[in-house]
Amino acid sequence: MPRKLPHPGSLVAFAILALVAGGFIALAAVGGEKPALLSIGPYLWHVLAFSIIQATLSTILSLMLGVALALALARRRFRGRGTVLALLGTTMVIPTIVAVFAVFAVYGRSGWVAGILALLGWKDGFSIFGYPGILIAHVFLNGPFVARILLDSLSLVPAEHWRLASAFGFSPAHVFRHLDWPVLRGELPGLAGLVFLLCFKSFAIVLALGGGPSRSTLEVAIYEALKIDLDFGRAAWLSLIQLVICLSLTGILNWAFARPPTAHTIRGLIQRPDARNRSLKILDAVILTAAGLFVAPLALSLLSGLNNIPDVFDADLLRAFVTSMMIAVIAATIACLLAVALASAARRWRVALRSPRVAAFYDFLPNTLLAVPPFALTAGLYLIVRRFVDPSSAGLILLPLINGLAAIPFAYRSLAPRLLTAEERYGRVATSLGITGVAKLTIMDWPLLKRPFGAAFALAMALSFGDFGIIALFGGQELITLPYLLFERLGSYRLDEASAIGLVIVLVAFLLAHVSGRLSHAGD
Amino acid sequence: MLVIENCRLTWPDFTADYSMTVQTGALCAIVGPSGGGKTTLLHMIAGFETPESGELTLGGVDLLPLEPAKRPVAIVFQDHNLFPHLTAAQNVALGIRPSLRMSGGEGRLIDEMLEAVGLKGFGARKPGEMSGGQRQRVALARVLVSGRPLILLDEPFSSLDPGLRRDMVHLVGELRRRRPVTILMTIHTPEDVADLADQMVLVADGKVVASDTPSAILGGSLASVIAAATSNT
Repeated sequence: MPRKLPHPGSLVAFAILALVAGGFIALAAVGGEKPALLSIGPYLWHVLAFSIIQATLSTILSLMLGVALALALARRRFRGRGTVLALLGTTMVIPTIVAVFAVFAVYGRSGWVAGILALLGWKDGFSIFGYPGILIAHVFLNGPFVARILLDSLSLVPAEHWRLASAFGFSPAHVFRHLDWPVLRGELPGLAGLVFLLCFKSFAIVLALGGGPSRSTLEVAIYEALKIDLDFGRAAWLSLIQLVICLSLTGILNWAFARPPTAHTIRGLIQRPDARNRSLKILDAVILTAAGLFVAPLALSLLSGLNNIPDVFDADLLRAFVTSMMIAVIAATIACLLAVALASAARRWRVALRSPRVAAFYDFLPNTLLAVPPFALTAGLYLIVRRFVDPSSAGLILLPLINGLAAIPFAYRSLAPRLLTAEERYGRVATSLGITGVAKLTIMDWPLLKRPFGAAFALAMALSFGDFGIIALFGGQELITLPYLLFERLGSYRLDEASAIGLVIVLVAFLLAHVSGRLSHAGD
Repeated sequence: MLVIENCRLTWPDFTADYSMTVQTGALCAIVGPSGGGKTTLLHMIAGFETPESGELTLGGVDLLPLEPAKRPVAIVFQDHNLFPHLTAAQNVALGIRPSLRMSGGEGRLIDEMLEAVGLKGFGARKPGEMSGGQRQRVALARVLVSGRPLILLDEPFSSLDPGLRRDMVHLVGELRRRRPVTILMTIHTPEDVADLADQMVLVADGKVVASDTPSAILGGSLASVIAAATSNT
């Protein structure tokens, strides 16, 4: 009897686990003196304390902005509201290095705020480095993202509940207690965990705005151990600690987000009964104005690069653009193909083999990639591939690979539900006709999958195109991407050029995110 | 008496113009095809839709200037009647006071109403722990406890199986004997209420096409129209 080949998804899962394990083992096993965990203890505590404090503060402030903004926008209808909502959704793809530029441009020593203060006679200025800069950048990126997610959830409240609220004469306090709060209570733990995770792992923002080695996250400390001190043993320890913390948090997140789907009816144009309350009108006006004053200058600072674009159009920019695009395309291909394979395996275990626990492992695997420290994984894999390829080419292999792995969770989230839908609709017909394998994928799955695949591909490209992570290890004259070019210009205080490069990155990322959004909302 | 006279509502793709009367204390069944304007009629009476013109009075009181909470009207929808984070008793209590601060007497009244709809001992359960029929019973208890004289039931039993649906219709009849109320109920299966209803109204294309006793409507010249309309739903 011929031996049955393993499912491609099982092979992919095994390959991912082997890749991650291999990278860490290579890093830990590299020659040289092995530092004991205790010897880096005081430094470790310092880094851990800073990572946790800044992530906690960033999370609290992001949630405060997000909740206030979501409730105010849910209550109000005004001209341009649709545009505001669309912009809120795109902050997720604003590259962190571009956010760093925006903070410099608005709050930096020669930024807009300093200029206004100087006009008012206060010439001492203030330092943006340390907590202020980090918190502003994190809240700028995460606050609107939180608001968008909460708004989507609030819009799922059944129309009948709003009609009942009107019929019972709910006051604004009752509306909050019986309609808004149950939604917020369901979403906030998961969102808080996600924002904390993103800020805890923050790299570019902390590297550029931290203001020195005393203010490092674990991710920055790993980078410094690898790039500056060449201390692989310390990097391995730090990575392991980060992995344990992030995996624990990811596990909790997975548990917190795993809730039954919300039933909803078509919301239509139901006016909230609390929208007429005069006090809330004033409060919402204050919230929207304050949020606008915080977010708008940072967003508008990116437009300041418009005039400087002709100055930066040179061979370096073109080369960086092409490299970034090439890496983004390969990374997106890796992310989408691996996500399809994993989702297909999850579906097989869930539907055909009736084993939801194994399926849950495939669902959880993409999320664990969020917990893996990319620098440590890259360094470990670099130690492996340098034996086979020219070290200068290693970056070109590892960059798309690591970016692709990092985008798998997002791609999986788009693709897995559609594969299940295809199975529910046509699975029995396909089985009865004996359609399996590639034929099943092309005949049964692809018609439903092609739009979310396109959406996931564009989103993965957007995330990779603006990424300033691994390139910090490999970047230089031989390998340069647009985010690295921007970091270089920021480092040499050439803010005009940085503004133009930042604008190019944001425009491409927004364009890709827009394509992604259009495809994911399109019908089959 | 409920009087609706030339109440007109206009959307880009639909126009409704209602005129009808319902005697105080009557049970009026509203039948007709899907998309014909049955739910819009109830939403207009409840205050969720505002007519551009016409008159809407209950016992001589003009309802149109009143916002939904001020109208002497209570409503039960087909689904999503209960707030999932509240218990059955708390959901009923919303009909008395949204703050949920109840006096001892009000607490007893809620228990009585739950018992009246066959849910004695279910007060502490949350909607997620109850069947579809039980959830609709809780919603019925709430409209009763609210003490409002006009009750609107918007296809309240459509999602239930036929046996349970008939039980619920009879429960409505019993509750009506318990407290004199006027009931308007949209329904897809007119035969379920033929014995119980005092009046049957056929609504189609946004208009009241016919209004008479159930036997006259179901046995008259419109029987084939109703059969066709309800079989399409």
